[in-house]
Amino acid sequence: MLTLLLTAASLALGGESPPPVVPPETLGSPKTVFAGTVTAFKASRLYLGDGRILEPGVLIVNDGIITRVGGDLEIPSGAALIEHEGCITPGLIALHSTDGVGAELSDTTRVALPDADASHAFQPLDHDFARARAAGITALVLAPSITSLVGGQSTVVKTHGGTIVKRGAHLALGLSSDALNSGRFPTSYDGALGELKRLFSDPEGPIARAVAGNLPVLMAVNTRAETRRALRFAAEFQLKGALYGSTWAEDLSLEIGESGLAVICDPFDVGDSARSVRAVLALAKAGVPFGFGLDAPGRHPDCLRFGAALCVRAGLDPQVARRALTSDAASIAGVAGRIGRLARGLDADLVLWSADPIQLTSSVEAVYIDGQRVTQH
Amino acid sequence: MRPSPSPLAPLGLTCCLSFVALSPALAAADEEAQEDTSSVFVIRAAQVVVRPGEVLENTAILVRDGRIVRIAADLETPDGAVEVQGEVVCAGFIDPWSALGLDGSVLDDRSSDAATRTADGVDLFSNDHLRAEALRAGVTLARLQGGYRAAVGGLGAFVRLDPALDSASEAIVDDSAGLAMSLGLSLPGSMRFSRGSDGSLRMLSGDRAVDVFDRVEAVDRVAAAIETGRQYREREVEYRYELEEWQKAIDEKTLKLEKDFKKAKKSRKKDQDKAEDKGKEFKEKKYKEDKRPRAPKFNAERAELARVAAGETPLVVEVHRASEIRNLLEATKGFTRLRLVIAGASESLSVAAELAERSVPVIVWPSLSGTSRPDELSASDLSLAGNLAAEGVTVLLGSGGRDAAAARDLPLLAALAVGHGLDPELAFKALTSLSAETFDLADRLGSVEIGKDADLLVLDAMPFHPGASVRYVFSGGRLAITPEN
Repeated sequence: MLTLLLTAASLALGGESPPPVVPPETLGSPKTVFAGTVTAFKASRLYLGDGRILEPGVLIVNDGIITRVGGDLEIPSGAALIEHEGCITPGLIALHSTDGVGAELSDTTRVALPDADASHAFQPLDHDFARARAAGITALVLAPSITSLVGGQSTVVKTHGGTIVKRGAHLALGLSSDALNSGRFPTSYDGALGELKRLFSDPEGPIARAVAGNLPVLMAVNTRAETRRALRFAAEFQLKGALYGSTWAEDLSLEIGESGLAVICDPFDVGDSARSVRAVLALAKAGVPFGFGLDAPGRHPDCLRFGAALCVRAGLDPQVARRALTSDAASIAGVAGRIGRLARGLDADLVLWSADPIQLTSSVEAVYIDGQRVTQH
Repeated sequence: MRPSPSPLAPLGLTCCLSFVALSPALAAADEEAQEDTSSVFVIRAAQVVVRPGEVLENTAILVRDGRIVRIAADLETPDGAVEVQGEVVCAGFIDPWSALGLDGSVLDDRSSDAATRTADGVDLFSNDHLRAEALRAGVTLARLQGGYRAAVGGLGAFVRLDPALDSASEAIVDDSAGLAMSLGLSLPGSMRFSRGSDGSLRMLSGDRAVDVFDRVEAVDRVAAAIETGRQYREREVEYRYELEEWQKAIDEKTLKLEKDFKKAKKSRKKDQDKAEDKGKEFKEKKYKEDKRPRAPKFNAERAELARVAAGETPLVVEVHRASEIRNLLEATKGFTRLRLVIAGASESLSVAAELAERSVPVIVWPSLSGTSRPDELSASDLSLAGNLAAEGVTVLLGSGGRDAAAARDLPLLAALAVGHGLDPELAFKALTSLSAETFDLADRLGSVEIGKDADLLVLDAMPFHPGASVRYVFSGGRLAITPEN
């Protein structure tokens, strides 16, 4: 059907005429990328997000959806051509953040709020999203605070257009000491675990879906003991999902691998301990799928790429790092069918970089979400 | 000094001690060390970055006793020397604004003054792992600054980050590396209150300005401090002149008295006898030249401020708000010898033209802090370094002087600054030669030249280019980092 559309478009526009070459800097306004039009992106290098690289590569986008990806595709006549000397990657995905939600998502008085839905706190026009876009982040997971035992459900949003990609991406569980000591029950690990077991043994609503394996959990942990506790808890109730917190995962990478859980790494920052970096390397070695948290706006959106670069400097395979920022992140967030790769049928969320995004010297030259240019440079 | 004859005894002739005798011993020690081949290295590289923008192809560097002694294409490896090969050799990175190696109490000290020396607070016995990590990242030298919260933080210190150095004399390269002050930093959690005589509550902030009126005063205080230094120096110079004049007068008088020595002796004897006859005590004749000019009272703080006013020590002011930077530039205009360096400078883009015109270097701190930061840092942006450089401002890059571990990530922060518009060559310059020049270390560090200290990096590619990972690091001629360790 897509080919039919393309043919129709080319017929309507006269077929034979050469495709217009439009310099990227003139493509800022919606006037030039009009709906229903085919846009072709040609770059010196395409990182497809799944580890594969095309040099050079062509990407055909129709109505905000990627329709074709190839090394040397013929540009459909009538398509607007964007030639880019540099790299194109799928938009980066931050797996744990609180952009544009202010003080929402943190309910300090209640122990369990399984029905709380982070999408209700989503304020798409907040300036935080513009900052995220400028760093090449096109989607992020708004996650409930880790201060509740059951914080509610996370939601995956795009950083432009107010799009909610997925509601109820995870059920957020607080298994770290952050969920304790809040002046309310429970105040101890055993109290917390006792309460969680009570909730999960007689499950209702979202918890029942988590127990049935239909709603992945996101278990916040900090220390080794907390990580172990979370692994045991997940095994006991056969939960699927991810751990949030990787600082102490170095020695536990094999156990985590056996658990089948993914890991969302703690956001990286300048001066972070070498242990956090070694943990990521160990997870990669054990084959554990992982992505990076961000926790913006408390952190700079460039921390996402900074963390990946820090790990690459310490020996992480750049390909694995790029996957962690895109396709693996999409899988962990449960949205791999829509974003995270440059593949046919997926949303055209793209970043045009000056060079490899793992190099911090590379800059974002343009960001497209749903085929629309969303950054001004 | 010649022996003074008795009539001249009252004349207070000065005596000066000479320490010249010490230096030959040091030279001898140097010669002995040269016999030791374990400190001899030959580094061969496809490209040697002598200094930013100057590259030698297929060149070898001979390192002996901590120094670069030869650079040549046809260098033979001496017997026993260790040979290292790589793609690119460049000078070690310098972090001009770091906290790595400072005890927390030194860093947070708010009682520091102009005579406080960070060198005295350098702790070489903890955080070895952080030094090792920084070294592995290519940062070989850091300028540490205590008392960043204080209005006057005192003198900074340049310290080698090689964890194998555990004595201050080895690690500290310069113990008066700029005098630090700060303007308008907010100090969350450290505000104090006092009740005034009318019962009203007044906010105290130690020496630090917190409100806008205080901040104006704070700029004046900086200028006033430099002025006291200038006056102190003026008085010192005056004293030296008076002393010279006095010495001259004494010499003249001595000559005159020596000429008339016999007559003077006779006359003195006569006076002595007369006094004895009358049963009075004999008093030596007073000369007006006896009165020695009085030395100015020594004041350690003012002595340092004097060096600042005279341009012997750079003045490093951490200041962020545009208004304060502008006021500071205005208030220091009259001090023609002052070498002002601005640190932080988050809002400096609007005064970039003045900074460029006055040749004031700026130490930019490419920070990854999020939106919750003190208001003076709210405008801080990764594009600052590139934007300032584009306006012609001399840009240095530092890790911010607060977090010890951040020095390790300075090369990554510099890379981010490049990603946000800073020219890669300027970023490299910011991390090497510019820091050395700004803090008077260029004769020893910051470039790859004969006679310079061997603080060298061997990389897989040119700095700030893809694949530029650090393979070997030399610190003061010691091979401190290899791919194996």
